[in-house]
Amino acid sequence: MKRKKYLWLSIVSVLCVLVLWELVTDVLRLMPSYMLPSPLEVCKAFAYKVSGGVNPDGASLWTHIATSLKIALGGYLAGVVIGVPLGIAMAWYKKVDLFVKPLFDLLRPIPPLAWIPLMILWFGIGYGAKVVIIFISSMIACVVNSYAGIKQTRQVHIWVAKTFAATNLQILFRVALPTARPMILTGLKTSLGSAWMALVAAELLASTSGLGYMIQMARQMGRADIIVVGMIVIGLIGAALSSLLDLLTSRIGGKKTKRRG
Amino acid sequence: MQRIGKTVWKRLKANRQTLLWIVISFATLLIAWQVASMLSQGRVQIPAPLEVFEAFFRSMTVPIGKNTILEHAGISLWRVLLGFVVASVIGMAIGILMGVSPKAHAVINPLFEFVRPIPPIAWIPLSILWFGLGSSNKIFIIFLASFTYVTINSYEGARNVDPKLIGAARMLGASRRRVFTHVIFPSSVPYIFAGLQIALSVSWAAEVAAEIIYSQNGVGWIITMGMNNGNITQIMVGMIAIGVIGYLLSTLMRVVEGRLCRWNRQET
Repeated sequence: MKRKKYLWLSIVSVLCVLVLWELVTDVLRLMPSYMLPSPLEVCKAFAYKVSGGVNPDGASLWTHIATSLKIALGGYLAGVVIGVPLGIAMAWYKKVDLFVKPLFDLLRPIPPLAWIPLMILWFGIGYGAKVVIIFISSMIACVVNSYAGIKQTRQVHIWVAKTFAATNLQILFRVALPTARPMILTGLKTSLGSAWMALVAAELLASTSGLGYMIQMARQMGRADIIVVGMIVIGLIGAALSSLLDLLTSRIGGKKTKRRG
Repeated sequence: MQRIGKTVWKRLKANRQTLLWIVISFATLLIAWQVASMLSQGRVQIPAPLEVFEAFFRSMTVPIGKNTILEHAGISLWRVLLGFVVASVIGMAIGILMGVSPKAHAVINPLFEFVRPIPPIAWIPLSILWFGLGSSNKIFIIFLASFTYVTINSYEGARNVDPKLIGAARMLGASRRRVFTHVIFPSSVPYIFAGLQIALSVSWAAEVAAEIIYSQNGVGWIITMGMNNGNITQIMVGMIAIGVIGYLLSTLMRVVEGRLCRWNRQET
């Protein structure tokens, strides 16, 4: 009963906003359509772009999505493959920690997006610069979370392992890594979000295709309907990627955590 | 005085290894940078570290564009402050409202969940159409970026109040309003602060991104201008400024949190 009421309120609230939006744009014309397109216009633009329309930015929605995904996933994978082991090594080996941590702390206050202009000058506006930006932004969260995760290992557990003559590597793989797994997975998720955001920013600034490029072009031509379509697609893909990652990690992580408990 | 000197000395001695390693790693970085700058040629130009630092300090008195770097930093910080404060106030109000009343949660949460997956950066083109090219579009982006975090954390804070505390206060005859001001709000403060902390660093990143993409002043403008003119020294000067301000902002938040939430830390 209560659940039903909650659902009703939610539906009514979303509908109210849609009706209000339609009223402000199509019916009362309080906002011109180059500033705020009506929901119907957005639907039309969406249908047009999905069916492969190439105006006004020269490529269909699918091409833009493919370009964006290729860059984002490339940079993200590189960030994970380097970031997670680096974080683990920093937390486990004191020498690595002492050497890398100061450099890491020095560079961390600079938001990854601030690297975009430098990378564009160095690597051009193509694939390379954007992959590097996404690599930087996803690596940071991976390093921070893996580091914190390994550091959470209880000293007592390490002592027990040592008493049973485990080698340093055995302790790392059998004791510290299982402890750190939830944190590492959190890091993977956080960095996926920041990778996707960095991609959009890089594409807004300089590119020749991709979702960010699409909305930037639409702005220059005053096509707010295409902008809104682009924003919705960016949001949908971001959400889809993050739930895909949840699915994958629950498959990998779920069973083992159960066995532990 | 002497005692303070002694404890500082003791600490230094204990941390001597750390200090030594900090020096080693910074020295390695500087040497690598210097070598890279001497080897660099063609498109990948790298200015020498000394050159960059010199340019950084010079820019405090000699303007880049129309303003000195301090003025640019002031402009950027002012935008962040405006967006952040407005977002914090509204975010706290909405978050706590959602936490206290399930009805409000039912109405607001679906809308919130629709908007949340869209990165604030993706709003920039629309924001430019709505607010023009000046400061207000950046303030809007900063607002969006920090609003989400403050709202979610305030909601979590208000929802996770120990029901025993509320029950006890009610039993002792506290009015609903008093329960809110004396129990619910104070116990959500640590959550809210965690949200504010993330929100501030995210707003700084959003501000920089918005300025890089389009602006006429501010620290982000410095690096975009450097990019357009192929002036890498200027880009690095801008990045140093951005990093320093980012660091100061996060330190500031930590200090404020340490003061305001001291009771919470002592308890645990």
